Amino acid sequence: MGVAIFLFALAGAFKWGEFQGWDKVPLIFVGLGVVGFALLVWWRQDISFGVNGEVFEPKAAGAPFQNIDIRKVAMWVFLMSEMMVFTSLFSTYMRYRLGIASCQTVFESGEWVEGAAVTCFEPASHLIASSWFHIAPGAINTFALIISSFTIVQALRYAKMRDIDEDVRRRKITRYLGTTWFLAILFLTMKMIEWFLGFPLPEFLHEFNHGDSTINSLYTEGYLINADHYQHHEYDTHYLESNGHGLDHDSDLYAMMEAGTHPGGHMMANIQVSATTFYVTTGTHGAHVFGGIIGLSYMTLKAARGGYTPDNAVSIEYFGLYWHFVDLVWVLVFPFFYLY
Amino acid sequence: MAHYKIMGQDPYWMNFYGLMILTLMEVLAVGADLGPAANSLGTEEKVLTLWILTIIAIPKFIMIAAIFMHLYGDEDSGILTMTALFPAFFILIMVLFVGLTHPNAASGLPDWCRPGNYGL
Repeated sequence: MGVAIFLFALAGAFKWGEFQGWDKVPLIFVGLGVVGFALLVWWRQDISFGVNGEVFEPKAAGAPFQNIDIRKVAMWVFLMSEMMVFTSLFSTYMRYRLGIASCQTVFESGEWVEGAAVTCFEPASHLIASSWFHIAPGAINTFALIISSFTIVQALRYAKMRDIDEDVRRRKITRYLGTTWFLAILFLTMKMIEWFLGFPLPEFLHEFNHGDSTINSLYTEGYLINADHYQHHEYDTHYLESNGHGLDHDSDLYAMMEAGTHPGGHMMANIQVSATTFYVTTGTHGAHVFGGIIGLSYMTLKAARGGYTPDNAVSIEYFGLYWHFVDLVWVLVFPFFYLY
Repeated sequence: MAHYKIMGQDPYWMNFYGLMILTLMEVLAVGADLGPAANSLGTEEKVLTLWILTIIAIPKFIMIAAIFMHLYGDEDSGILTMTALFPAFFILIMVLFVGLTHPNAASGLPDWCRPGNYGL
């Protein structure tokens, strides 16, 4: 609820990136306050359910979850709701992807004139999957999340071990949780590079990047939620001719240009829908990673202080469920939003 | 925690290796030139790539859920798997309804449904 209040207030305070006034700002802080309160309650519950050093985990009494840890059931119910959130994002993406003609199709159809924007679907994968360099941040992120899923399971394994020295357990858990934390930070860093920063290439790699010295970010490429005048060099007949690619000889545009009924030029596209579906879906996933970093920061510190024992290791298990879910979503986001 | 082995080995390590290999295959499938294979199958390269990616994503999904999330092998795995699959019904409906919408719905949205038209 806190996140919902925060997002609605934020959407009211900003429109297309422009500040709309102070009246919604207090509500933003109300949202953040509710989130903070929820985190506080979570932290209080994590401390212990027991008294005087005794630790116990409350069990569900009624069917169908009889004798299963209540918090584990609650975590799964929470993950179910999360599944619905991401399904709505995926189905929106499917609908628009299938319902709006791709920019490549529109370009080759010749149903455009230079200087007037046409609405079409430009998948982010057109930019991201265009070379190994462009795909590198997303690919690194995929491996980072899978490794982090493994490290958190290893943290749980050592937390539950009863037959090891306490100090060894503390160091192992801290190391694995710390690695998970580092990989989560790496994920968001790569995301920032991919979205906003880009990265330079060493000189010997320039020839593999059409002579360019940098890999542009999506922002630099103009792939933005408000892009109604988006232009890409692959939708430019002059560029295609000068770079030896040429136009597809089977395309309508080629036939029209040969017949002299289309002058060619640089197609301009309105890609607001495609960019929005991309940023909202991958951004929602990124927000989940950020939430995970908050949890991991606390857990790593707790582990470093020797706070985990086999009796309270379930906290790592429940957080692990959330973290694996974030990985699961990425398993679908990566191929469908980044590669296809 | 897992009380079983995969091919006599630790299930988490085996799962980890399997996931890494599948992810590598995913990235290679995107980089590979599948044009000739797609032509011989009478389809586009992008469609073939999507099929390969989907086929790889399914075992990855199952491996993470079953082994890392303990939906396989634990005492409570059965009921928790049912719980996890419960939204599948709604997900199916949501995806099916995408196919039931009008073909022009995405490009022919009414003005009140477009960005920037919040003053209803």
